[in-house]
Amino acid sequence: MKRAFFFALLASGVAAAQTDLVVWHSYRAAEKSAIEKVAASFNASHPGIKVTTLAVPYDAFADKISAAVPRGKGPDIFIYAQDRLGGWIEAGNTVEPIDFFVDDATKARFIPSTMEAMTYRGTVWGLPVNYKVITLIYNKKLVQKPPATTTELVTLAKKLTDKASGRFGLAYWYSDYYYHAALQNAFGGRVFEGNTAKPVLNAPENVKGLELLVSWIDEGILPAEPSTALITALFNGGKAAMIFTGPWFLGEIDPGIDWGLAPLPKVVEAGGKPLRPWMTVEGAFIAAPSKHKDAAYEFVKFLTDLESAKVMALEGRQSPSNKAAYDDPKVANDPVLKAFRTQVEVAVPMPNLPEMTMVWSPATIMMASVAKRTIAPKPALDKAEAEVLKAVSELHRK
Amino acid sequence: MRGPSHRLRFGAGVALGAVVGVWLAHGMVVQEQRDAATDLEVRKATVTLQALESLLQHGDPREVALGWRAKTPSVTQVRITRGTQLVAPESRRLLREEKPLYDRGQRLATAVQTNLEEGARKAEIEVEWLPGPRLLLAAPYEDKGVVEIETAPLPPPPSTGWLAFVLALLGAVIAFAALALVFGERRVQLSIAAAAVLGLALLALGRWSIAQVEDDRRAGAGALTQRIDEQSALVQSLGGAPGNWDVDEFRKPRPPLAAGAGRLRGALLSADLLALVVLFLAGLGAFSRIGVELRKNRQAYLYIAPAILGMLLLVFYPFTYGITLSFTDSNIYNTSKSIPEVWVGLRNYAEILGQFSFVKRTESGVVFNYLNFYWTLLFTIVWTVCNVALGVSSGLFLALILNTRALALRPLYRVLLILPWALPTYITALIWKGMFHQQFGVINQVLQVFGASAINWFDHPFTSFLAAWTTNAWLSFPFMMVVALGALQSIPADLYEAARVDGASRWQQFRAITLPSLRPALVPAVIISVVWTFNQFNVIFLVTGGDPSGSTEILITQAYKFAFERYRYGYAAAYSTVIFGILLVYGTIQNRLSKATEA
Repeated sequence: MKRAFFFALLASGVAAAQTDLVVWHSYRAAEKSAIEKVAASFNASHPGIKVTTLAVPYDAFADKISAAVPRGKGPDIFIYAQDRLGGWIEAGNTVEPIDFFVDDATKARFIPSTMEAMTYRGTVWGLPVNYKVITLIYNKKLVQKPPATTTELVTLAKKLTDKASGRFGLAYWYSDYYYHAALQNAFGGRVFEGNTAKPVLNAPENVKGLELLVSWIDEGILPAEPSTALITALFNGGKAAMIFTGPWFLGEIDPGIDWGLAPLPKVVEAGGKPLRPWMTVEGAFIAAPSKHKDAAYEFVKFLTDLESAKVMALEGRQSPSNKAAYDDPKVANDPVLKAFRTQVEVAVPMPNLPEMTMVWSPATIMMASVAKRTIAPKPALDKAEAEVLKAVSELHRK
Repeated sequence: MRGPSHRLRFGAGVALGAVVGVWLAHGMVVQEQRDAATDLEVRKATVTLQALESLLQHGDPREVALGWRAKTPSVTQVRITRGTQLVAPESRRLLREEKPLYDRGQRLATAVQTNLEEGARKAEIEVEWLPGPRLLLAAPYEDKGVVEIETAPLPPPPSTGWLAFVLALLGAVIAFAALALVFGERRVQLSIAAAAVLGLALLALGRWSIAQVEDDRRAGAGALTQRIDEQSALVQSLGGAPGNWDVDEFRKPRPPLAAGAGRLRGALLSADLLALVVLFLAGLGAFSRIGVELRKNRQAYLYIAPAILGMLLLVFYPFTYGITLSFTDSNIYNTSKSIPEVWVGLRNYAEILGQFSFVKRTESGVVFNYLNFYWTLLFTIVWTVCNVALGVSSGLFLALILNTRALALRPLYRVLLILPWALPTYITALIWKGMFHQQFGVINQVLQVFGASAINWFDHPFTSFLAAWTTNAWLSFPFMMVVALGALQSIPADLYEAARVDGASRWQQFRAITLPSLRPALVPAVIISVVWTFNQFNVIFLVTGGDPSGSTEILITQAYKFAFERYRYGYAAAYSTVIFGILLVYGTIQNRLSKATEA
């Protein structure tokens, strides 16, 4: 009895000396083992801190964070894309600002646009871990040389399109606003004016972007009613020569298809500016109620440093935000990582404002009706803008 | 049976009512005093902070702040930061433990910027309570910095003791006892006396407490003016100019401190009414009757207790919470706020039910506003009526065929026809959506084989509706078929035989025998399937997704979209409550009708 008491005392003494950190992520398979490896090497090099990782299913992740963290029941650190960041900041007591911790040297090690995605109204809230961006994936049997400009793209796609037999030169989910954003950004389009939360969906540049899409639809090079399932089926059946998609698609490709990656073409209509896709950046955020913020920042920094970035890239197959990782020969010679690194140079971070959630629904309706050619681009954008303005004002109203 | 004494009952009622009324009144008065005191201290501290801010516009901030603090006894600590630098009380870089100071600077700068763009939404003066109790107030300073003050320990808020309240209670009870001796066991007189005694005691108590609170207010207004005068004099002596420093958290001027106690008056009145209700419940014997019932059926209540507990937790709590939420403006911005803070009363309902104009006439023709509640309601009703009509008629038709005795392989057909019902709705709906694809869908391919042109099913509200209708018909006929088949097999054969002997035709037999015999089985089935179809989320969400432009949404999918795509939780809750109301009305009417058919 006395002995048991003694051991209990000893155990509590040890526990008090050690800081326990819990990290939530939504990774599976290779990504999961990569982050577990990073956590293990952190634990080995930081004796006073013990990091435990917990995989939470992606579907429930954001809602779990919204529900658990403000009530002090969540993790110390969580990894998620920037699109919910603004909402969590506005709701309060969810994400801890780390602007104070981040020095210029740390800021400088990331691809600038990924750092921008972690910044909300001038304050840094997390460190970027990786990014996902849309690029051009093509069937090497059908396309010898990927197109460099949109004119080449249309010419080539027209040649490869045979609508009657269901073959298309170009296929992507063009009726989805996320995919379409690449076209509008090429013209300098935007959803919000400057750094404010004022929606400008019907900006003239956005009209031009939508007009470009309409011209492609009218050329007949795109399949009707696109969806991810349709694009996958077409590409794997060898019936789509080129597709615009991101890293999430790579696992879906049939092993029998010989495919390659290339940067999205330059837009002749926009004076030779490249198509600029939106990117999603996954950041490591510190939970506001965490009791070990200093230790948590140590881990966040460790997770995004060069060695960890290489593990996450080579073993987890992620595109790290750490610039130096691409100097590593193994990363530099990886065609997939290299292609996304080239593409991210022109990518635009998707807005992290909470008002963005008000945009999706009207934008989806707008894109669907324009894609079906039931309405012209300009009035469609005007209508969507009016709806977004109304939704945002309802949200801001006291 | 002779009941217990009325005097005793009313006496207990007066005592109980007085306890309830006095206890509530005391809580309200103390709360009011505490709120007023808190508000006053925050106002005084705000004036102080604003005075310091006005001085900081000129000269070296550290010297100015320290000089000002030496002459302001109500402030024990001043801190000024600029970015990562501490400016006062000493000049150095912020330490790691001082991160909250830096974060506050960032937060306040963001608040100022946000308010510039969107009107007053975020506090520009942060207030925090420190142990003591002391107050910490912070305002933005220059580029992402703060100027913050900590006050000296504040006096405890004035708190009215229990003496007056206990006196009121005793007074009421003694007065009633005296009156009861006079009136004896006369019930009417007793009830009037009880109400009068309790009401007068509580009213007197209310007047007295309001006077107390008003006195506090007057004193508070005086203290505030004194603080403003003090600071104005100090600022002038230090070379600054006084301004309007009595502002709110958004730095907007506040109205002068009023002496009224309007809110307290209403609250006290409602407490008095509650006390009277308790008095009459006790006096007229409601409590004793409930107690007798509980004791008599003790075992029965014990048995259902677990079920009641489960219902309370799993059904009534979420239900009440949903209805409560429908009176708020809860959305993605304010999920961490409490319900009273986002309370908007009936606004959501007014917005949903108050907008009638879903049709607009423009030069390009008639335009529908598909987000309007009445369009969605209309569509939902059309959708429900069409589906139930088709489901019942096709189910009945198939059941009649399957009921033919001479039919070969009957069990096989029966199994095949039940299959659509056995498959998960989710899968069936997605398969049908694929079949309606414009180019690769089998339906358009068949149409093209017969020379017709392909139809863009989801481009027009009507064709989109047809697609969803077809899918739902496929899903719903097996249920009706099974119900009808079962009912058909229970009709005795000799009825038909007798009809044939009487020379009735096939149609007459159907009208006079089959249909009336089916009725008891079909009516409940129709009621259920109306409710199912009304809330048929899967088919609409997966097949049409509301296309085109949200024209084919039904109420339940629209509520979902308001909650999880537009993040307006309060509005969506009100929408759901309206749906519940519609189904409740339908259910009640239908229940009456079906009872009539049974009789």
